Amino acid sequence: MDKNLAGDSTPRPKWRKVAYGGMQIGYNDNYTDETFLGEMVMNANVVRRDLLKVMKDSVSISQYLCIVALVVLVWVHTLESSLDENSLLLLDLSLLALGFLVLLLTEEKMLLLRYIANVSFFTTGLYVLAPVYQTLTRSISSDSIWAVTVSLLLLHLFLHDYSGSTIRAPGALKSPSLTSCISVNASVVASVFVASRLPSRRHVFAVMLFSLQVFLFAPPVTYCIKKFSFGLHLLFSFGLIGLTLYSVYALHILFFVLFLVIVVVVNVVCPYWLIRMQEYKFEISGPWDEAKLCFDITD
Amino acid sequence: MAEPKLRVLMVSDFFFPNFGGVENHIYYLSQCLLNLGHKVVVMTHAYGNRTGVRYMTGGLKVYYVPWRPFAMQNTFPTVYGTLPIVRTILKRERITVVHGHQAFSTLCHEALMHARTMGYRVVFTDHSLYGFADVGSIHMNKVLQFTLADIDQAICVSHTSKENTVLRSGLSPGKVFMIPNAVDTAMFKPADVRPSSDDVITIVVISRLVYRKGADLLVEVIPEVCRLYPNVRFVVGGDGPKHVRLEEMREKHSLQDRVEMLGAVPHSRVRSVLVTGHIFLNSSLTEAFCIAILEAASCGLLTVSTRVGGVPEACTLFSIHTFLLWYYRMTWLCLLSQIRMTWYEQSKRRYQYFQVLTRRRCTIE
Repeated sequence: MDKNLAGDSTPRPKWRKVAYGGMQIGYNDNYTDETFLGEMVMNANVVRRDLLKVMKDSVSISQYLCIVALVVLVWVHTLESSLDENSLLLLDLSLLALGFLVLLLTEEKMLLLRYIANVSFFTTGLYVLAPVYQTLTRSISSDSIWAVTVSLLLLHLFLHDYSGSTIRAPGALKSPSLTSCISVNASVVASVFVASRLPSRRHVFAVMLFSLQVFLFAPPVTYCIKKFSFGLHLLFSFGLIGLTLYSVYALHILFFVLFLVIVVVVNVVCPYWLIRMQEYKFEISGPWDEAKLCFDITD
Repeated sequence: MAEPKLRVLMVSDFFFPNFGGVENHIYYLSQCLLNLGHKVVVMTHAYGNRTGVRYMTGGLKVYYVPWRPFAMQNTFPTVYGTLPIVRTILKRERITVVHGHQAFSTLCHEALMHARTMGYRVVFTDHSLYGFADVGSIHMNKVLQFTLADIDQAICVSHTSKENTVLRSGLSPGKVFMIPNAVDTAMFKPADVRPSSDDVITIVVISRLVYRKGADLLVEVIPEVCRLYPNVRFVVGGDGPKHVRLEEMREKHSLQDRVEMLGAVPHSRVRSVLVTGHIFLNSSLTEAFCIAILEAASCGLLTVSTRVGGVPEACTLFSIHTFLLWYYRMTWLCLLSQIRMTWYEQSKRRYQYFQVLTRRRCTIE
């Protein structure tokens, strides 16, 4: 296949990276030049992460886990009748006031207005609909209820939008995605199921108010705290983690160990693992990539 | 001494009655091989009612295996389901070389795998560039690694395509041959009488109107150019999902008399559309080897293209006339006096099919 003549004194011409002109004299079709893959660029767009920053960011995930754990604790205590409806109502009111205070202090006018509007709206609605919720699952056995509640809560945690709030002020950057809507719905349905196991209307109203308040307003309130001051956010998160651990310990030692392990994994093990995996990142770009349009396609 | 005649089986999901780069490539290559005295058989899936064995020009036998395509012109991938029919064809036609086309074709992968199991010589040609980042590409590349793990030779249509294939499949570069595509200059001849360029300059665009072929770039470029140069008109051939956007652009800027939309142009009429223009515009976002540019140059048009993929390698030395279409601003150069026959002759010399397939035959041997 080689066409070099013996005793050919003229050196073969330089190889060119062109497709026209037929076979290049002195070179086979499978000739690989030194410039082969010379224009390949590796890992051009990869974000280099710092361990401490990733650990600080993962605190918001464990903060939300603690909030959900606290809600479940309140449910458990209410179902065991160790928490009666009056103290529950008191808890609700104090949480409402706290949220209101936080929004006032961090000067989020838009969220504040929406907060007041939403709260008044669904408090009235809940009070009216409480009898309906009470008898909703009367024909369903308790085992199914616990199973469905647990799966819905897991779904909620899995699909939750941890990067921002699901209830955003109008004109915000990201609109809620499909998964965050599903997660909110899952949490609401879980609270309805739990509330339907309670004995009296006032119980139902108090528990529903509490659950909805936390699931719907905890994300925006924590978002406001984080935006206001990161140090305050860290302090609040650690306080919350401590409170949760103490409450879970008071409940049962096994759950305490489990929860502690989860918090440690989320805050320490996962960031470390992510940083370790970064070195295997291999992003290839080169002249074969599809060109990117520099303007947005407006339909 | 007479060279031994080959008996080649071309396998791909993409063949006539579909029209496209891969289909034309397989057809023309088969015709040239038949002219040289080899035997060629093509295997593809059924197209509508077109099943069974058909004979095409020159005694080209085509097996339209009776499977329906299930997604994007591909047959349903049953790994062992194709073994009986592939074995039957290989034994009945006494095939010596199996040549698969296009990485995206499931039939090609399966046939190559079965042929290799039975010990036949196997060649694979890749016609497109693929990325590495999205789920579809990752999956395709993995399948390609399996198929090309035990292959005799691979052929790519440009040096960029060779780099891309080597990275995707992990083949050694020595196994990959770079053989460019060719254009049929007998079909794509310039017009006898060149359209006059005194008053109106015509820019022709013929492509599928999809995102990948840069239809959105067209939507931005056409109004700008029409605004800057009142003596320019556009002829847009081809159809696709972005047709609506182009129509909207025409309405918005009132360019109905300056932009003519032809709809889908049958392959036999492409040349007659091309020779009415002075300039050919190709705005695709990725191209392994743009045959449309060559067809246009062969018809005597000046070509303007986006500088992507294998396009810089395919352009001739007259590339001072091949502009860089960055963003949607285009630098316009005077282009009036053009010796169109030079284009035609250049293309003819450079891309003769016979030359191309001789190289192919050499790789097979």
